[in-house]
Amino acid sequence: MRALAVIYAALLYGFIFLPVAVLILFSFQATSFPIPPFTGPSLRWYGAVLADGRLTAGLVNSVFVAIGSSTVSVLLGFLSAWGLARFRLPGEAWMRGLITIPLTVSYLIIGMGLLIMFNAIGLPKSLWAAGIGHVVINLPLCFAIIYSQMGDQQMTIERAARDLGAAEWQVLLLVTAPMLWPALFAAFFLSMTFSWDEFVISWLLTRFDTTLPVEIWNLMRSGLNPKTNAVGALVFGVSIMLAILFELVALRRRPA
Amino acid sequence: MKNLTRRILLAAGVAAMAAAGGATTAAQAADLSALVWCDHSDPNLLKPFEDANGIKVNVKEFEGTGAGLAIIEQSQPGDWDVMVIDSIDVRRGVDKGLFAALPEDQLPMADIFPEVLMDATTKFDGKRYGITEKFGYNSISYNNTKVDAADMATLATLLGDKYKGRIAIYDYYLPVIGIAAMAIGKKTTELTEADLPAIKDVLLKMKANSKAVTDVVASQTAIATGEVDILVGGGEWVTAGLARENPAMDFTIPKEGGVLWSQSLAMFEASKNKDMALKFIQYVMSPEGQARLATSSCYWGMPASQKAALSDADKKILRFDEQPGFLARAQPYPAPDEALDKKMQDIWTEMLQAQ
Amino acid sequence: MTAATRSLAPWASVGPALAWTLAFFVLPFIAMAAVSLAPQGDDGLDLDNYRQFFVNAAYWRAMTNSLEVTAMVTVVSILLAYPFAWILAEIVPERWQRLALMLAVLPFWTSYLVRSYSWLLVLAEQGVINAALVDLGLLAEPVQLANTRLATVIGFVHFFVMLLTLTIFANLKQLSPNYRKAAADLGAGPVRTFIHVILPLTLPGIMVGAFLTFVLAIGDYITPQILGGNNELLMPQLIVMQVGRRGDFASASALSLILMAVVTVAYVACARWLKIERA
Repeated sequence: MRALAVIYAALLYGFIFLPVAVLILFSFQATSFPIPPFTGPSLRWYGAVLADGRLTAGLVNSVFVAIGSSTVSVLLGFLSAWGLARFRLPGEAWMRGLITIPLTVSYLIIGMGLLIMFNAIGLPKSLWAAGIGHVVINLPLCFAIIYSQMGDQQMTIERAARDLGAAEWQVLLLVTAPMLWPALFAAFFLSMTFSWDEFVISWLLTRFDTTLPVEIWNLMRSGLNPKTNAVGALVFGVSIMLAILFELVALRRRPA
Repeated sequence: MKNLTRRILLAAGVAAMAAAGGATTAAQAADLSALVWCDHSDPNLLKPFEDANGIKVNVKEFEGTGAGLAIIEQSQPGDWDVMVIDSIDVRRGVDKGLFAALPEDQLPMADIFPEVLMDATTKFDGKRYGITEKFGYNSISYNNTKVDAADMATLATLLGDKYKGRIAIYDYYLPVIGIAAMAIGKKTTELTEADLPAIKDVLLKMKANSKAVTDVVASQTAIATGEVDILVGGGEWVTAGLARENPAMDFTIPKEGGVLWSQSLAMFEASKNKDMALKFIQYVMSPEGQARLATSSCYWGMPASQKAALSDADKKILRFDEQPGFLARAQPYPAPDEALDKKMQDIWTEMLQAQ
Repeated sequence: MTAATRSLAPWASVGPALAWTLAFFVLPFIAMAAVSLAPQGDDGLDLDNYRQFFVNAAYWRAMTNSLEVTAMVTVVSILLAYPFAWILAEIVPERWQRLALMLAVLPFWTSYLVRSYSWLLVLAEQGVINAALVDLGLLAEPVQLANTRLATVIGFVHFFVMLLTLTIFANLKQLSPNYRKAAADLGAGPVRTFIHVILPLTLPGIMVGAFLTFVLAIGDYITPQILGGNNELLMPQLIVMQVGRRGDFASASALSLILMAVVTVAYVACARWLKIERA
C-alpha cells in the first residue's frame, strides 16, 4: 500500500515537473533555439535576458503592479472583512456575495469589461489600469481568506483594547491586524502570485509599459527564443528564494 | 520579516532597473536611438558599428507599424534617429512629416535587387524616404529529407493527399489568403469579394490536409521536432535560422508564386544626429552589415543588397542564387480595404472552425 | 467613542471594497451589456449579436467544445488530485507536509506562457511522453498529442490537479480525528470509513476546487490557444478573435455575457458548498 502511494506520488510529481524541467533545461541551450538537441550548458541566454531592456523593464513593472495591487487588495479585503465580521449590517449577505462574486468571472471577461468601460470614459491603457484589474481579481480572494479567520475569540481582545481607551482605528491597526497576520500574509502572498503571472488582463489593459507576461508574449510573436526559457527559469528561481524566505519567517514567528 | 522582504524586493528592483537603465545611464549626446524590429537588437549586428564609431545604439523594439507610430506619438521630436518600418507603410510616416529624405548618392542603390527597391512605396516627389534593407517570403517551408522537392514546386501538392496530416498552416490570414489566391491563379493585388468563395475552398482543402494552424513559435516547434513536414505561410524567416543547426529545414517559392514581405530603414526629420543616422543606414546597407542583418538571431531574411557578404553556406540556406526567379514570381501582401478585410477575417474564422 | 462614530465605522470599512467592486466590476458589466445591445451606433436595442450565437453553428460549437473540455478537465483533475492530496495529508510525515505541498506548487511559478509552449515540446511526436510510451511498449509508434484537444486537456489538468490538491488537502487536514475514531469504534473498516465518512466530509473541498476549476478553465484563453493548434475553437478563443483584429467589442461582449450566464448556472448548482464560513 505504501509502495503504491510512493509510486503514485512520484508519478504525479513527475507530471507536475515535466514541462518545467524541459523549460529549465533549454534555458541553458548554447545555440539559438530551445528545442532538441540540447547543446548546452550555457548561460548565454540568461545574459541576454538581463541585457534585454524590454524584459527587465517588464520584470520591474510586474513587481510594482503585483505589490501595489496586492497591497490594495489586502487592505480593502481586511477592512471589509472586519466590518462584515464584527458588525451586524443590513443586507450583509448581499455585500459578502458582491465582494466575492468576481471570483466566478473569467479574467478575460473582467479585462474586457474594464477595457470597454475605460475606452468609454477615455482612460488610456496603462499599468495603472492593469493594476485596477488585478485588484478586482484579488480582492474577493483576500476578503474570503481574511473573513474566514475572523473568529469570535478575537473579539474579546478587541473589546479589552477598546475598554482600555483605544480608538477604533487603533484597535484595527495595533490589535486586530497583528492577530490576523497569518491570514493577511497568506492573502498578500496569494495575490502576489496571481498578479505576478497574470497575462490576459495585463495584455488588454496596457500599451507600451507592460508587465513581464505580456513582454514574454511579445517576444514570442517573433519566434522561438531561449530568452523566454531563461526568464521563466529566473522567475522560478526567485520564487524558490521567496518560498524559502516564507518558510524562515513562518518558523520564526511560531509561538514558543 | 516585512523589512527583510521589502529590502530584498527593493534590492532586486534596483538591480533590475540598473540592468535596464544601464543603456541609458551610459548614453552620451552622440548615441543613436533607433526604433526597430527585433532583428536589429542582435549584438552581432550592432557591435561592429558601435565599436567603429565609439557610440552606443539604443534600440527599442516594437511590432507592427501601428505600434511604432504610437510610440513616436508619445515621444518628443528628436527622441528617435532611425526607424525600421514595413516598406509598404513608409508613406504613413511621410504623411505625418516624420521622415527625412535620404541622399541616394550616398547609399548603395545600385546594389539592391531591383525588384525590392519598392520605389512606389518609398519614393515620393522624387525623394527617397525609405530604403529596403531586408526582405523575404511567406511561402512554403518544408523538411527536405521528408518532402520531395519536386512536390514543393507547385501549390497543388498542398491540396492533394500525398502529405495529408503532415502540414501546418501559419496563423496569419493575410499572407495565407494571398497564397490561396495564387493557388487559383489570382493576383493578390486584384482581389475582390467575388474571389472569396473560391479562396475559402482552397483554405478549407488546406485545413483538411493540415494538422494545426499555429503561431510562429508553435510552427517552428512543430516543423523542427518533425511534428509536421510542411509549413504553409512559412519561409526563410521561420526556418532559415533553424537550418544552420538542422539542414533539413528548407523553403521555396512554388511556381504559382509567394507573398513578398520587405522592411525599410527610414531617418527621422527631427533627428539631432542625422550624420550618425546616415552612417548607421550606410553600415546596415554595406556588404558586412547586410550579411549580419540577414542572419540576425531573431529571424533570418534576404539582404536587400546583392553584394551582402554572406558565407556560401548561408547563401545556400537563403537560396540566394534563386532570388531572381523567386522575385519574378513574388506578389505583394493583399492590401484589402476595411470591408474586404472584414470578409477575409470571416472566411479565416470559418476555416479555423472547420472540422 | 460615540454611538454615531461606532455606527459609521462598519460602513467606512466595508465601503471601499464595495465601491471598488461596484466601480470596476459591476459597471464594466453594464458597459459590456450596453455595447453588446447597441452596435454600429444604431438606435434602440439590437439583439443581433446574441442571435448570431444561436444561429451560427461555429459559435454554438465553441460553447459545446468549451463545456466538454471543461467537464473532462474537472473530472480527471479530481480523480488524480484526491489520491495525491490523501497521500500528502495522511501518509507524508507532518513536518514534511508543507514542504511537499510547496514542491507541488512551485513549478507553477514559472511563466504560464513559457510553460505552455514547453508542453508542445513534451507532447511532440518525438517528445518525452511519446518516447516513454513507445519504450514501455504501450504504443507501436508515436501518436499525435500536441495541437489536439487532448493537449488542451493535459495542459489544463496539469494546473488544476495542483489546485484541487490544495483544496482537498486543506479539507482533509481540517477533519477532526474523532470521526475516524468513531467509525472505527462502530466497527467500520478503512474502506467503509473512507466511503461513508471521509469522502462525504471532504466534499466541500472537492466542490470548491471543482467549481474553481470549472470557472477558471472555461474562461482561459492561453492553454487552448497554444496547445489546441486551432483544430477547434473554445469560447475564449472566439471572444478574443472578435476583439483582436476586428475590434468588434459588441460581438465579444455578447459572447462574454453568454459565457458568464453558463458560469452562473454552475455557481448556483454549487452554491451550497461555496458559502464562506467564519472560524
